[in-house]
Amino acid sequence: MGEVEKDTLMGFWTAFFAISFYLATLLFVGGVIYRIYQYATTPAPLKVPTMPAPMTQKGVIVRVLSEVVLFRSLFRSNKWIWLLGMMFHGALLLVIVRHLRYFTEPVWSWVALAQPFGKYGGLVMLLGLLGLLGRRIVIERIRYISNPSDYLMLILLLVIGTSGALMSFVTHIDIIHFKAFMLSVMYLDVFSGQYPIPIDTILLVHLASVIVLMIIFPFSKLLHAPGVFFSPSRNQVDNSREKRHVAPWALELETPKN
Amino acid sequence: MKLHSLLNTLAKISIGLLLSLAVSAQSITIPHPPKAKKDFSDTEKCVAPIDIIRRNHASFLQHQRNDTMRRGIRTTKHSLVNCINCHVTQDSDGNYPNIKEGSEHFCRSCHTYAAVNIDCFQCHASIPTESDISIIP
Repeated sequence: MGEVEKDTLMGFWTAFFAISFYLATLLFVGGVIYRIYQYATTPAPLKVPTMPAPMTQKGVIVRVLSEVVLFRSLFRSNKWIWLLGMMFHGALLLVIVRHLRYFTEPVWSWVALAQPFGKYGGLVMLLGLLGLLGRRIVIERIRYISNPSDYLMLILLLVIGTSGALMSFVTHIDIIHFKAFMLSVMYLDVFSGQYPIPIDTILLVHLASVIVLMIIFPFSKLLHAPGVFFSPSRNQVDNSREKRHVAPWALELETPKN
Repeated sequence: MKLHSLLNTLAKISIGLLLSLAVSAQSITIPHPPKAKKDFSDTEKCVAPIDIIRRNHASFLQHQRNDTMRRGIRTTKHSLVNCINCHVTQDSDGNYPNIKEGSEHFCRSCHTYAAVNIDCFQCHASIPTESDISIIP
């Protein structure tokens, strides 16, 4: 490949990924905010906490947090799915923390501390994902209720994880120039042409699949992340005796306005 | 109509976010490791093309280590001592940069940027050896 051709190619991919990142971020942030707004304004007219439920607001916070952090109800219903889910989500958190090094300069010290562990977190994440995919395929009852999107989401995450692990463990990339590219995207200096993206196929595959993930996030089952906080059967206080629960619209019907 | 005004607000928020990033923009930093003492040969700056060295230097060093330590094959092409001899240079006061902090040391300049630990110098010297081993084998 000639020097000029290589420069043109770099310019193309740099612009392509920069524009894609801007669009994906807009859709992701805007979409998730819109969904949260939607969830927050959807009426929950009935008092329906799954019993036994906490009797105080504080208790509800503990309950929702234990659901979000420990997946408590899943633990009670199915131990091995809980283990796979925990492996995937816990490792994902570690991997995300590790990736912050590409977006911060100087790198925050706690990120630098977690960084070496995140590498192996990536492998745990892949194991969890493979387990969850296996669950969909092997268990007939789950296979029956699985839609194409259920599989595709797992496969997309597997593509992201596999390409990432390959870069960590097999075909390394130029992370210094990649970080400079990413910073230039963040600080809107990417079109200056000073910080081209390194062209490594595996990196481009990794980034493209992350962009796809960001775009489909607000339209997919991945919304369980913000959605879990709005689950009426978990976020309500058991005080139906102490306090009468009336939906605003019901109250309007009850009391004549004039 | 309600949706329209909501989308409008969203657009404004996202433009605001982008602008606040742009305003807070420091100039983008990228490491500038100090220049090596000399080119490896007339055609190559380093022992392999720069693009390859940047990506794979860790693998080269580890491979070399395994060959030397476990199999007794000692070569100089990917020798850490030779990397250090050529790449670690004195500042204007004649002092060698510190490997443990800052970003002056040749290795540190990128490794700090990427938050990657360097284990090499827990045992090996991070500054050139007194007796200059020839770079060209």
